[in-house]
Amino acid sequence: MIENGKISHNQFKLLVILCYIGTSILLTPATLASEAKQDAWIACILGLLIGLLLVMLYNSLANNLYNMTLVEYCEKVLGKWIGKLISLLFILFLFINCSTLVYVLGNFVTTQIMPETPIQFNNILFVIVVIIGTRLGLESFARASEILYPWVLGLFIILIVLLCKDINFENLQPVFEYGGKPIIKGSLLYVSYSSLTLIPLMMIFPAYVKNTEEAKKSFLSGTLIGGIIILIITLLSILVLGSNITARNAFPAYILAKKINIGNFLERLEPIITILWFITVFYKSILYFYGAVLGLSQILKLKDYRTLTLPLGMILVVLSLIVYPNSTYADEWNTTTWLSFSLTYGFFLPLLLLIIGNLRKNKSKI
Amino acid sequence: MWYILGILTVSIGITLYEVPYLLKKNLKRESWAFFILLIFGIILSIVESLNISISNPLDWLTFIYKPFTDFILGLLK
Repeated sequence: MIENGKISHNQFKLLVILCYIGTSILLTPATLASEAKQDAWIACILGLLIGLLLVMLYNSLANNLYNMTLVEYCEKVLGKWIGKLISLLFILFLFINCSTLVYVLGNFVTTQIMPETPIQFNNILFVIVVIIGTRLGLESFARASEILYPWVLGLFIILIVLLCKDINFENLQPVFEYGGKPIIKGSLLYVSYSSLTLIPLMMIFPAYVKNTEEAKKSFLSGTLIGGIIILIITLLSILVLGSNITARNAFPAYILAKKINIGNFLERLEPIITILWFITVFYKSILYFYGAVLGLSQILKLKDYRTLTLPLGMILVVLSLIVYPNSTYADEWNTTTWLSFSLTYGFFLPLLLLIIGNLRKNKSKI
Repeated sequence: MWYILGILTVSIGITLYEVPYLLKKNLKRESWAFFILLIFGIILSIVESLNISISNPLDWLTFIYKPFTDFILGLLK
């Protein structure tokens, strides 16, 4: 065992929520609105239901894992060499995904908040924080989530309360204007941004979570809470901005916060959404980075994963600068290849492991 | 030029930070992994700082997944 810390099921729930909200809170409303127009909220509910089914799949896989991480289990079930190869591909998936997260954050900061700062330095600063968190280990950042989560929830509630007076229900009409297909496509994209990205949690659950049975319930309830938060944000974007403006902006939730205006006195509250988003993206990135580093050290059979963090962090910064040449490319990629890429590792890989693992279990019983 | 100097300074700093621990614990495998990754990182950073275009991993993925992506999006058309 490389990691000797254990986290409680409550901390695990907070990690699930923060990972689920992650980037979706800024990016999902735009994608959903461009696909399903004013029916985005229906797609959101559908996506949440699909997400809960996915979490049930992860939970049933967790029954087979006992105290192994996904990478170790791969090796056990698929044999030494094929298992190592699949694990390596899985780690590449985590790593590439982590670099895209860093890009999205750096892009947001350079386009919206600090246009004079070069994107490289934003990325370097952010990656340094992620490395510090990873070096401190799982227990530390899981405990930190208990401190940071109330802030996320509090800022979120402030945002909702202050936007209540701008709501315009005519923006939701007509319902089902474009039929069912756009809604299904939108919900599938939404699942690929949210529930399918929960797969790095299989690197810490159930191996490093204290009470597996309780943790399974936490996994489900965490997904539900995260889904409700995203649903509220999507609804608000459409109710306040209308589906056209939501679809046209890269960061609708940020525009939402800009709309807050209470009697010409309380204005310009964008930092609310910025702080909220920094916390959630940080948690998503750290889970991915931690999963990649831990997995790599388990493949190479190392005794300590902390030595790999700094060189991998260097590579991560460079990757984050080259993954997306520009935002148009990013939008295009996120709505096409990303769907199949995340399905491969978020759905097909756990399914394959579950089926083969169960077959092997039954064989050994006979 | 300055970028390369900066990158080398940072990598020397990283090495000085990590190596004493590796020597003290006598971890051979970890040292190998650390240095291979570090050299890879240095090369990548220098190439990036000289503005030489590195092939994008996402483009390869797009190429590999193209049939599957087309199949899924075709279902949803």
